[in-house]
Amino acid sequence: MYTLYFKIAIRYLVKNKLYSFINILGLAIGVASFILIMVYVNYERSYDKFEGSENVYRVYMDYLVGDVYTPGDAQSYNEVGPTLKEEFEEVLDYTRFYRLGKTTLKTNNQILEINNGCIADPSYFDIFDQKLAYGDINTALKEPNTIVLTASLSQKIFGKENPLGKTIQVYRDRSTSATVVGVIKDLPQNSHFKINYLLSYTTMHNWDAIGDNMKEPNWNNNVYFTYIEIDDKTNANLLQKKIIDRGLDEVNDERMNIEPIEEIHLYSNKPYEAEANGSITRIKFLTAIAFIILILSWLNYINLSTTKSLERAKEIGIRKVVGAQKKQLVIQSLLESIILNISAIIIAVILAIIILPLYNEFTGKTMSFEVDNIQKLLPILGITLLGMILAGLYPAIVLSNYTPLKALKGKTRTSAQGIHVRKGLIITQFFATIVLLIGTIVVTKQINFMQEQPIGSDLNNVLAINGEVLTNVSDSLIRKDYKVLQEELKKLPSVANASFAVTYPGDGYDNLSSFMGITFPNGTLEEQNVWYNYEVGSDYFDVMGMEFIAGKAFMPNSKGFSHDIVVNEEFVKEIGITNIDEAIHKKVKFWNREWGIVGVIKDYHHFGVKSPVVPILIRYTPTKDVLLVKLNSSITSVSGYNSVLNQLQTTWSSVFPESTFNYTFIDKKFQEQYKEDNKFSDAFKIFTALAIFIAALGLFGLTSYTCIQRKKEIGIRKVNGASIFKILQLLNIDFIKWVGVAFIIAIPISWYAMNSWLENFAVKTSLSWWIFVLAGCMALGVTLLTVSWQSFIAANGNPVDALRDE
Amino acid sequence: MLLKLNNLSKWVQSGGQKVFLLKDISFWVNEGDFISIMGPSGSGKSTLLNVIGMLDDFNEGEYAFLDERVHNLKEKHRANLYKQYIGFVFQSYHLIDELTVKENLEMPLLYKKHGSSERKALVADMLDRFNIVGKKDLFPAQLSGGQQQLVGIARALIANPKLILADEPTGNLNSKQGEEIMDIFTQLNKEGVTIIQVTHSEKNMTYGSRVINLLDGSIV
Repeated sequence: MYTLYFKIAIRYLVKNKLYSFINILGLAIGVASFILIMVYVNYERSYDKFEGSENVYRVYMDYLVGDVYTPGDAQSYNEVGPTLKEEFEEVLDYTRFYRLGKTTLKTNNQILEINNGCIADPSYFDIFDQKLAYGDINTALKEPNTIVLTASLSQKIFGKENPLGKTIQVYRDRSTSATVVGVIKDLPQNSHFKINYLLSYTTMHNWDAIGDNMKEPNWNNNVYFTYIEIDDKTNANLLQKKIIDRGLDEVNDERMNIEPIEEIHLYSNKPYEAEANGSITRIKFLTAIAFIILILSWLNYINLSTTKSLERAKEIGIRKVVGAQKKQLVIQSLLESIILNISAIIIAVILAIIILPLYNEFTGKTMSFEVDNIQKLLPILGITLLGMILAGLYPAIVLSNYTPLKALKGKTRTSAQGIHVRKGLIITQFFATIVLLIGTIVVTKQINFMQEQPIGSDLNNVLAINGEVLTNVSDSLIRKDYKVLQEELKKLPSVANASFAVTYPGDGYDNLSSFMGITFPNGTLEEQNVWYNYEVGSDYFDVMGMEFIAGKAFMPNSKGFSHDIVVNEEFVKEIGITNIDEAIHKKVKFWNREWGIVGVIKDYHHFGVKSPVVPILIRYTPTKDVLLVKLNSSITSVSGYNSVLNQLQTTWSSVFPESTFNYTFIDKKFQEQYKEDNKFSDAFKIFTALAIFIAALGLFGLTSYTCIQRKKEIGIRKVNGASIFKILQLLNIDFIKWVGVAFIIAIPISWYAMNSWLENFAVKTSLSWWIFVLAGCMALGVTLLTVSWQSFIAANGNPVDALRDE
Repeated sequence: MLLKLNNLSKWVQSGGQKVFLLKDISFWVNEGDFISIMGPSGSGKSTLLNVIGMLDDFNEGEYAFLDERVHNLKEKHRANLYKQYIGFVFQSYHLIDELTVKENLEMPLLYKKHGSSERKALVADMLDRFNIVGKKDLFPAQLSGGQQQLVGIARALIANPKLILADEPTGNLNSKQGEEIMDIFTQLNKEGVTIIQVTHSEKNMTYGSRVINLLDGSIV
């Protein structure tokens, strides 16, 4: 019997090629989108999972802001780990990382610039469940000047050779040598803490690149990432409470807090994170989109197949007359829907596999459908299959409920209830479509709004150049060389100006320093806020196009030093001065010294416009190893830039023959902060377009259904003189009503959702009324187009054909 | 006696009034009868046939089929009854377009729990009997009207029913094809199958042994 069902299903699908194509296409697009989005969502949720990761927590610092403690810093003090281990028996072990940022590794024959180097405690291997490919795990990283490489770095430096015992020079301003004592596997891409090599913690003591103030146990520098492993049986919430309650007598207005390592990537997002975090809001939105698309494609399927089932009425009638039971008919219909759905799933999976490399490129992730991932995919496919069976059930039941006599006569005008169901389905489709459309418009508007924001600084044509000088000449000589370099650069015809700067807008937190505790000009001691500051040369403000609204840049004394500072408006506001001009020559006190304000610049966005403007202090430095170079605006062509870059490098090499050279266009770097948002917006657009396409398919199905149902009515109206336009009006008016209903439901829901999304931004665009109107009009437009296509054919038909079949 | 109708009536409500489709119908059918139901359009011929075939219900009166009181039976039981004993032949054949001749014949057996080899044997018998072995792998659309009706009759017969209900079986056929079909009915009747046909045609009527004339839902 099942073979026969199967045969009928296949023959039916082949016979109704357009119907099968539309239906399978709609489903396949829906399922493929669902799979791809969910693979991404799963990937984002899979961060930092390893054997025992559920017991690993990161310690971070809460700062007292006003009366409440808020998460203040992802990093902590080097005493945090040892203190917790000593005082809480639940804490089994700790490991600390000190991130080295960009370093240069030198061996006999190679110089490599490597990011993500780290100084770490030997307990790392145990807590992070790392095995050594080479070396002895019991001794690794216990001795000073030892280094453990990741497999790919080892491969890069030493090829296939066993690297144990080899020596590497590590440069970070000043160099130290380190002996390779181990090789670990590469860390998975889905870790929030990327590592390329680890230097032993004790190496610090022999390395003058690390400040003396950091070498001894202290509560002054919170520049370490501290991870603790807690006892399996510990209630983490209780422990967290105990750690919070312990307080921190050692540091004013701070306390320790912990968070699960598994949640860092999506939930943490604190200042000084090891890398830009993901966003749980984005993940929630994407999950919602995935389900919306999937449900849309099911609704579409239900609509189309119920519609099409009208044509099967005769067959059902015959089957009933020759003895089929309802159950058998339901099973047959379900079997057909399963065949159709499974082909759709197969196509969807193939599509997903084909698209995956492109998708990886787009998302910047390394997702794959490997065996261990398949397991995670199973629930996704399960949901899909289950939903499909449910979706197949409705048409099946509708079909099997036809009374045989009516079915044979073709009188299958279904019950009012059936119409309601389909109406509901269509309204739901419109609703989802409008919500997605509003979402797309809002996201696009917000991204444009952010990018058009004045950032208070002109980043155009500014390059940051730096390099590692690989000589052992004294620091003072190198400093002089930098001074020479600056002068040489300024002489280049294509260079407008050049200045030193430790960091710049868009560079993030990495090179920015911060402190707490400042005495205002009126004598108040403020100890709660974090004050961000950095050092630059005098030309910095000119290079960056930052505008002074009071005072001017620093004037170093004859020895080349200055205790003057330039601040932004926000800073002036914070210290309680209302008239900006009054701020000039006022003194503030921090780091046990007085600093005189010589200039106030307009507020600018240091962290990108996603974060609010914060008070900033800018200190003077005579030289630094990062130079900002402002190019003449006359340079526009690619070849122009290439020749300038050549000139810069030549100038650089003439001053520092033995060194590396890097450059960054800082406007590009600034824009990179919106990379994720841009991708989110792109994803929104793509998936919305797909959703609309699927919804249009469903609409197409429903219209053809209505046209069949009302064929006779249309015929009679035409015979009695109705014009084509009148008929079109008649057929379209219902759909317009439904769009209206869906629109009204969609407004509050999308308003709420998009409002909560905008909460993530410091600068937010408004949810203007026209967004909703535009979305509504677009939905209406698509509807009218789809519907009119079919109803026009119906309205244009010869009424005689319509009236003949009685 | 195969079936008996007693004062059977069927009506619909229209504008607050009862409109009778069938009114006070009483007659009986013996096994081996060949009955023609005649009457003008709208006289209730097809409705009566459908009531007899249990595809349609009625509002009043009694209907006994093989001593089972149909009016008291539950839906499922009633369905079982007609599936077991009644075969239908339609004016427009009503074959399933997606199935071949062979598969169309096999379909009723699928719903009656016959083994696969038994089904094959029965289908082969039918194909033989109606001389359509050569057509067994064709689809209905590839056959002439007369051939399609042959398949329709074969399908009605395959489960070995006691009664064949035929609603204008030759209505869509030309006269030669119609004669062939009527000859087959006569032959079947001789073999003991009871036949009730609805017809417009005086000529077809003559094949039957008894005529029931309907006018406005009543026997005249």
